[in-house]
Amino acid sequence: MTRDPADGAVLELHEAAFSHPGGGGVSGIELRVAAGESVALIGPNGAGKSTLLQGILGLVPMTAGSLRIDGVANARDRGRAVGYLPQQAALDPEFPITLDQVVMQGRYRRLGWLRWPGRADRRAVADALSAVGLAHRGGARFGDLSGGQRQRGLLARALASEPRVLLLDEPFNGLDQPNRDALLETVRELKGRGVALLISTHDLELAREVCDTVVLLNGVQLSAGPVDQVLTLGNVQECFSDQGVEFDEHTLVVPGHEGH
Amino acid sequence: MDAADALFGAFALPFMARALVVLLVLAVVAGFVGVLVNLRGLEFISDGLTHAVFPGLAIGFALGGFGGLIPGAAVAALIAALLLTMLARAGVASDSAIAIVLTATFSVGVIVVSRGNDYAGELEALLFGRLLTITPEEVVPIVAVALVALVTVAVTLKQQLFRAFDPVGSRAAGAPDLGLDLALNAAIALVVVAASTAIGSLLVLALLIVPGATARLLSNRLFALFPIAIGFAALCAWLGLASGFALSVGAGIDVPGGATVAGVFVAAYVLVLLGFLLVRRLRPADAAARRVTAAGAERAASVTSSTGVGTAG
Repeated sequence: MTRDPADGAVLELHEAAFSHPGGGGVSGIELRVAAGESVALIGPNGAGKSTLLQGILGLVPMTAGSLRIDGVANARDRGRAVGYLPQQAALDPEFPITLDQVVMQGRYRRLGWLRWPGRADRRAVADALSAVGLAHRGGARFGDLSGGQRQRGLLARALASEPRVLLLDEPFNGLDQPNRDALLETVRELKGRGVALLISTHDLELAREVCDTVVLLNGVQLSAGPVDQVLTLGNVQECFSDQGVEFDEHTLVVPGHEGH
Repeated sequence: MDAADALFGAFALPFMARALVVLLVLAVVAGFVGVLVNLRGLEFISDGLTHAVFPGLAIGFALGGFGGLIPGAAVAALIAALLLTMLARAGVASDSAIAIVLTATFSVGVIVVSRGNDYAGELEALLFGRLLTITPEEVVPIVAVALVALVTVAVTLKQQLFRAFDPVGSRAAGAPDLGLDLALNAAIALVVVAASTAIGSLLVLALLIVPGATARLLSNRLFALFPIAIGFAALCAWLGLASGFALSVGAGIDVPGGATVAGVFVAAYVLVLLGFLLVRRLRPADAAARRVTAAGAERAASVTSSTGVGTAG
């Protein structure tokens, strides 16, 4: 876990490209996320936002460029440093598992094959549940939770792994206002703790609210930089040019998509 | 003969005691592995493996008699587990892949057996087992194979459960999905091998699938499923042997041991299923309250109190 303190980039991609074996991918990614920084990843459906996030996790092959996590290039063992909240995970609501047990899965990478959770792990689970505002729901069956609570539960699982980088794929989709507010609050708290965040979203308002930097993406990286400089009407129009979307500088409405 | 004779006295006979020991070992391992089969929805793959083990049994028997059964079956099972895992992974429509492997291997087995002297007798022994004629020498290999299956699953249990619940999340956390699938399929195959001598390569499916399915009906608690499935399997094994003994010795109706045991497993499952449906019917408020909890515990509490129903069990 040694890294150059003057540098400070937890996640660094240089001229990176990722593509699915069957086709479809992203290229030209130049990205630096520092500890405590949060970066919004914005682009239309099919722009490759999820592909980029999965590529960083090592689930989609990297076809060009370099990727450094904590200064380590192309590390094979990324699971420990990188937490991930997938986009609307299709999980069986009938699966007999409690929220506590789901969040504990975040500790498995640390535990390895043979060790079973101990006191420190249970502590970490309780802390992660508190961080997402579900401290009192740990014993509930996961399938009995509301959609927003499940989403927050999966975020808690990612937190329980104590990641250096957290990748959130469309975390605000389909959330009602209370859950959305709770998630925003958690994101702020994580930034305060020094977690580097990469958040894919359709929600420009949200990007302005909690993100420092924004990356516009549509198959290739179009522009990147501080939110105020990059998130201009012209840039956003260019990024979404091939989509029938309506937007102004603050909001974006994607037809047939639960956006804000 | 009274019930106590069948339930306890019968096991003073060495062949009955051996059958019980073997079945109890199988109950523990099949119950344990069976919970994962249920959670992963691998019932059809398990079916494919039971059939794929058959030519291994046949070839092992042709080469080495009863002593060749376990080694032959173990080799066939591990090859089949590898093949089925790779086929499923390569994106070949899984059901057709399994069906093809299943019929191909089965026909190979039948052809091998047909070359022997006692076609009908051998086929029956390989398909339906020789529960009551297991020799003392056969017990140790069976237990050894069962233990390997148990250890394979126990070592990977956390990650297997994670993968069963959330395959994408498990991969994202760095778990080796291919390794986990191979380990689980190999364990299933080894359970089939261990059980093939006792209750045959076809009836083993009852041992592998019924306890896990029963546990799912009886509990929603993840780590309670394993002891429930094992306990259920052990109880059914004992009752199955005892009832087979009572029918054969007491009532003079000669029934095959393996099939009687498998029948008791299924009958017990049906009883549990009926009980489950009955309980659900008698307590509709519970089901309603549980559905409501999806919308939040606070609302559930207000709904149950406003309808005058107590808290959900």
